[in-house]
Amino acid sequence: MIILVILIPIIAGIFVPLLHFKKRSHMEIFLECAVVLNSILVWYLLLHHSDSTFLLAHFTGDLSISFKVDGMGMVFAGLVSSLWPFATLYAFEYMTKEEHEKIFFLFYTMTYGITLGISLAANLLTMYFFYELLTLVTVPLVMHTLTREAILASRKYLYYSLGGAAFAFIGLIMIIIYGTTTDFILGGVLDLTKIGDRTNVLLFIYVMAFMGFGVKAAVCPFNSWLPDAGVAPTPVTALLHAVAVVKSGAFAIIRLTYYSFGVDFLKGTWAQTTVMLIVMFTIVYGCSRAVKETHLKRRLAYSTISNLSYILFGVTIMTPLGMVGALTHLIFHAVIKISSFFCAGAIIHQTDKQYVHELDGMGYKMPCVFGIFTVSALALMGVPGLAGFISKWNLASAAVESGNPVAYFGIACLLVSALLTAIYMLTIVVRAFFPGKDFDYGKLKDVRDPNWKMLLPLFVFTFFIIAFGLHSQPLTDFFNDVAAGLYTF
Amino acid sequence: MYLILLSIFFPIVVGVGFLIVSSDKETGKTISDTCYSSNLEDRGAVESNKQARNHLLLATGTAYLLTGILVIAAIIAARDEDFILFYLTKALPICFRIDEIGVLFSVMTLIVYVCAGFFSFEYMKHETKEKRYYGFYLIVFGVLNALCFAGNLITFYLFFEMLTLTSMPLVLHNGSHKSIMAGLKYLFYSLCGAYMALFGIYFIWKNSDTLTFTAGGVLNASAGSQSGILLIAAFVMLLGFGVKAGMFPMHAWLPTAHPVAPAPASAVLSAVIVKGGVLAIVRTVYYIYGTSFLRGTWVQTAWLILTLITVFMGSMLAYREPVLKKRLAYSTVSQLSYILFGLAMMTTSSVTGGLLHVLAHGFIKATLFLVAGAIIYTTGKTRVDELRGIGKEMPLTLWCYTIVSLGLIGIPPTGGFISKWYLAIGSLNSGIPVFCWLGPVILLVSALLTAGYLLPLTIQGFLPGADYDYTHLRKREPSLWMTVPILIMTILSVLIGLFPGVIVDWIMEVVTI
Repeated sequence: MIILVILIPIIAGIFVPLLHFKKRSHMEIFLECAVVLNSILVWYLLLHHSDSTFLLAHFTGDLSISFKVDGMGMVFAGLVSSLWPFATLYAFEYMTKEEHEKIFFLFYTMTYGITLGISLAANLLTMYFFYELLTLVTVPLVMHTLTREAILASRKYLYYSLGGAAFAFIGLIMIIIYGTTTDFILGGVLDLTKIGDRTNVLLFIYVMAFMGFGVKAAVCPFNSWLPDAGVAPTPVTALLHAVAVVKSGAFAIIRLTYYSFGVDFLKGTWAQTTVMLIVMFTIVYGCSRAVKETHLKRRLAYSTISNLSYILFGVTIMTPLGMVGALTHLIFHAVIKISSFFCAGAIIHQTDKQYVHELDGMGYKMPCVFGIFTVSALALMGVPGLAGFISKWNLASAAVESGNPVAYFGIACLLVSALLTAIYMLTIVVRAFFPGKDFDYGKLKDVRDPNWKMLLPLFVFTFFIIAFGLHSQPLTDFFNDVAAGLYTF
Repeated sequence: MYLILLSIFFPIVVGVGFLIVSSDKETGKTISDTCYSSNLEDRGAVESNKQARNHLLLATGTAYLLTGILVIAAIIAARDEDFILFYLTKALPICFRIDEIGVLFSVMTLIVYVCAGFFSFEYMKHETKEKRYYGFYLIVFGVLNALCFAGNLITFYLFFEMLTLTSMPLVLHNGSHKSIMAGLKYLFYSLCGAYMALFGIYFIWKNSDTLTFTAGGVLNASAGSQSGILLIAAFVMLLGFGVKAGMFPMHAWLPTAHPVAPAPASAVLSAVIVKGGVLAIVRTVYYIYGTSFLRGTWVQTAWLILTLITVFMGSMLAYREPVLKKRLAYSTVSQLSYILFGLAMMTTSSVTGGLLHVLAHGFIKATLFLVAGAIIYTTGKTRVDELRGIGKEMPLTLWCYTIVSLGLIGIPPTGGFISKWYLAIGSLNSGIPVFCWLGPVILLVSALLTAGYLLPLTIQGFLPGADYDYTHLRKREPSLWMTVPILIMTILSVLIGLFPGVIVDWIMEVVTI
């Protein structure tokens, strides 16, 4: 059953260029149905979680490719499968202005299946395998427009990702040697008797694997692929580089820390301090670069870099509350950022304007898009009543609870970043709605809101941002259960 | 309980309604421009514009008065009732409670807001996009009420952030590049302050059982062991809320924002919105941390130093400032730190003086800004040195200015004198080593400087000198819409000084040290 949800999107994607569709709308319907069907199947799986592991292939010893549904997997798979139908709908409208749609949708839909493979992986080897596949299947998406910029960006992405995966591979090997199993077990699988006094070696390997997976999670100094990937069509940047790819990196780090190495082994060591300092730096660095950046999508890309490190900050606190904070921000940031990117995409689609200073006064001409952008800006800043406040609250509570002075400093980093976020997001909003009394509105004559295929996802996301902001307790309770190990099998 | 909700959300809903309902006759011209134009099209538009404008003003005025009635009704009917609106998370309720501090702040807000609101009916003829102004003005009114009635720290913080976001459009209203930059400066300074306060809130949350405002503080037993980080958090919170309250070192947004905002907005900004920062500090120090935790610590000392620096610095900068509204802005910076000084001293008399000064300064500063607005509206002049002889042209207005200036300086029988008296007594009785006498000294010096920066306008205005050209004088008293609010607030500030007993006794009861 599990394998179905992974295979369906891959097969559907492959069929897109093979089948001959009489009208474009037939292709749209085919794809959307496939994606929605798959999402429904995923949710069915999550709600009726069976504790069986599905073994796909067996290599030597106890190395295998297998899948299972546990708490963490539920969180990520739930997120991805909820967002994908909307993203596909949005992409249909967006891609009317681009070429080579069929190839695009081939890889776009295959990515869905592969991301699910990452989330439902039962052991480190499977996750690593799908992680590499994810890189391979998303490179053509980054390269889609085939401009020189796009080709360079996709090359950079490829090299960074493969390089990162190589470091992560070393981590995998160490787990195989020093762990009892490669399976994901909350609390870690390391066999302390085998390690003996080689603790420092293992800590070093942990930091390397963290940075390796951290490439995809855009940790400093391996983050420069992400802003460059902003050259891809917006559905790619939005879904992949705000949700699927980068969150896979964060997800992998959570698995590595809590389920493979185990926090009892890592907490209080120099490794924890090192990774915590690295992510704290990234939090502030990402936001600072975002303030200076004038290209809208690149600005949002830097914002993503910073916010991913919020999630990783929660992970590096290495307590159950830290995991709760990390998971909260994983979900909430994904929704907020995909909403922001889709607004940016709508603006580009309708007006071809890509730079922040070209957006003056557009607030009145595209009120829906800019209204939704304002909501996501406020949510990203952490205004109470919207989702971002709750995730920041959970992260900060975890940091305060931990008693770790470095973590206290981390809270300060979070708040500095909140201020910088306000600066780089609200200046866009203020310019759009308050362009100044000398502004010539005649320049914006043909600007209007996009059609329903783009607006519907935006409205749905905004609804969830507000709903999560006001009523997040059930989700937080669920995360607390996941962190306490209630959903491991 | 519904009265509380209504007093908060009614003006917000009406304001939002103003913003959403678009008018199709928005031109870039002001009412005064079109009135004097000879263009036939404009003439036709003038009549329908006038009608539309009258409808707008009627709706706005009614909204003010209704909100005022709702606030008073809520105060009378819903005192001391804890009302939880909903739970943001299981442990963070959004709740409201009207206690005495809330009554004090909300009554002052009400009076100043309504007066400045009616003043703006006349003043805004001189600006465009009035509907947007009144929309945000009403929204801020609702948010201010929510702030006064907030029952716990989370509710307070939520509306504190809302206050910043919704009052920024008032600052940048006239749309010039300068005002947009000033609006953004205000926004980012205030957000910086809010985030600094949030830092403190996270730590309080760990060390308390509840965030509900309780006299004497809510820290629990574990706070003793955490006192190091908690004191740092307290200091950061004071600095953060102090941004809004114009305390050094983050006061710089005030002198930038006030000159560019429309005068009634400046009045409200100085008299009421910054008091939101003061209210925040009152709540934090007296109702969350509790004086027993903070008294005698380095936090109190540092706070006292900062407030005294601000008092002196604000007055000095005001003394040297030639633009009238900027001068009044520096004056606000200084005067707010009088209040903060009283709060920092943590004795009954000093806190009484501080809270009384909240009331007195609110009325006085609002009057001062409205007078400045009246002057700008009738003469277009913004600098003090251009205003010789203005007293002959606008006698009533300048008389009101003079009376409230005396109040700010601290001359009996005005309200400002009483509050300064209590501040000084409280300081001298406090027993804190250097500050008990340093405080009154600086307050006196600042009073001198206050006379120096406020009275020249009066003197030059009424007695322009032998070499002044009296033939240029015109009778320029502004209309009733402007003079009546000014008069009302002047009278109130004097009444507080003449009959302080009731209010002082009431405040002293509230202040439990």
